[in-house]
Amino acid sequence: MSYTIASNLKQAIKILKESDGKAQVIAGATDLFLENLPSELVDVSAVPEILGITRGKDFLSIGAGVTHAEAAASSVIRSEAEALSEACRIVGSPQVRNMGTLGGNVINAAPAADAAVALVALGAKAVLTDLYGSSREAFVVDLYGGYNRSSVDSSAEILMRFLLKPAQRGEGSAFLRFAPRAALALPLVNAAARIRVEQSLIKEARIVIAPAKPAPTRLLETEKLLLGAKPGLDLWQKVKSTASSEIEVRGSMLRCSEEYRCHLVGVLARRVSQQAVVRAMEAE
Amino acid sequence: MKEQVINFQLNDEPVNVYSDPSLSLLKLLRNRFNLLGTKEGCGRGDCGVCTVLLDGRAVNSCLIPAGKVQGRNVCTIEGISSKSTAKAARFHPIQQAFVEKGAVQCGFCTPGMIMSAFALLQENPSPSKEEVREAISGNLCRCSGYKQIEEAVLEAAKVMICQKEHPGFK
Ligand SMILES: Cc1cc2nc3c(=O)[nH]c(=O)nc-3n(C[C@H](O)[C@H](O)[C@H](O)COP(=O)(O)OP(=O)(O)OC[C@H]3O[C@@H](n4cnc5c(N)ncnc54)[C@H](O)[C@@H]3O)c2cc1C
Repeated sequence: MSYTIASNLKQAIKILKESDGKAQVIAGATDLFLENLPSELVDVSAVPEILGITRGKDFLSIGAGVTHAEAAASSVIRSEAEALSEACRIVGSPQVRNMGTLGGNVINAAPAADAAVALVALGAKAVLTDLYGSSREAFVVDLYGGYNRSSVDSSAEILMRFLLKPAQRGEGSAFLRFAPRAALALPLVNAAARIRVEQSLIKEARIVIAPAKPAPTRLLETEKLLLGAKPGLDLWQKVKSTASSEIEVRGSMLRCSEEYRCHLVGVLARRVSQQAVVRAMEAE
Repeated sequence: MKEQVINFQLNDEPVNVYSDPSLSLLKLLRNRFNLLGTKEGCGRGDCGVCTVLLDGRAVNSCLIPAGKVQGRNVCTIEGISSKSTAKAARFHPIQQAFVEKGAVQCGFCTPGMIMSAFALLQENPSPSKEEVREAISGNLCRCSGYKQIEEAVLEAAKVMICQKEHPGFK
């Protein structure tokens, strides 16, 4: 029956282990504190092993404990993973961004969690450590276990870091969302894209939208359409119609009707791809 | 949860309290320290009236488990007035500007609004209008329409810069 602020990974693991599954990890608390709290909490927000942003030679490593505010202020993230920078900048409010972490965003597993949508589009991998010190890697999209449910058991595993490929030559990414207000509003739809161009032709494309399924969802037909194509008005019109027809979305009483959401998927898929292409071309 | 001892800096004074660590910081401040300036609104991070500073950053105290503030620095609306001058009772320039610009109507959002502005001006002493808007975007005000609040924060920024350059200035 306790709340402990772990000062390092070893201590966090020790408490989780000794609690026999009763203790759970907590980071910024912006999601978990609004739910029924378990009897023991291990606060990992000061664990140095899950903090910091590092640019390696061919990877970008972002700690799971990095807050949205830190990620939004990071010049490395802005230049190497712009979609993530844009997503973190728009989460909740300054107060929520000062506490909420990227790791919590992914494990809370809301279908349209902003940072998670960007991370999926960027093809990010997560590094997790279990209570016996062995670690595993998994794609962020695979950490979703169902509707609002993570496949990660936060009493038995700690999400450590996210690994991303930095933006390559000719590559750009973008994130957009449509919400009733600029702050403190749930998005009707959000979208992220990562696109690489070579001699003005699209060579790689990942387009992700949410909420459609439990996890952020790639628009595979739209991606196929983009591959090898030359950006132009024609293409963008097709992107819009393909995107809104290739995926089924649901309406909700709180947010918007099915028809409207379907329309928004098309519009945002087009805009976010266009934006990513503009950036990709600047980086060629 | 079982009660435990929590030590932290509250408005620049070391304090310790025996509390359930899963109580919110907001409840701790209001019920245990009798600091009633911090208000309770929605209780879920949507309105910002409970905003305080944690290690200098604006946070929703309704979303902070008391156990989290162990060893950290909490500043509430009660903690900012004495900071700017020797006279403890004197208003902080942001408070003064809110009065002068008519930025207070019902007053319920005011403490939180001022704490968000305070966090902004600590980090960015001469913000643009857009930066002010961004900084208070997590604080709802249902009376004023935000215009006067924005003006008050910009005015306070000017006064604070002036005071820094001319310490005798009032
Ligand atoms: C008012 C308000 C507005 C919001 N607006 C948005 C928004 O616009 N967009 C958005 O995407 N989200 C939003 N959120 C949701 C929330 O702020 C984010 O999801 C945030 O990133 C959660 O992170 P956290 O550190 O606070 O998580 P916590 O609440 O601490 O934890 C969430 C879950 O993740 C687990 N967990 C956390 N870290 C780890 C780890 N390292 N290893 C293992 N398990 C871990 C916890 O056990 C828990 O199950 C909002 C929340 C509020 C209150």
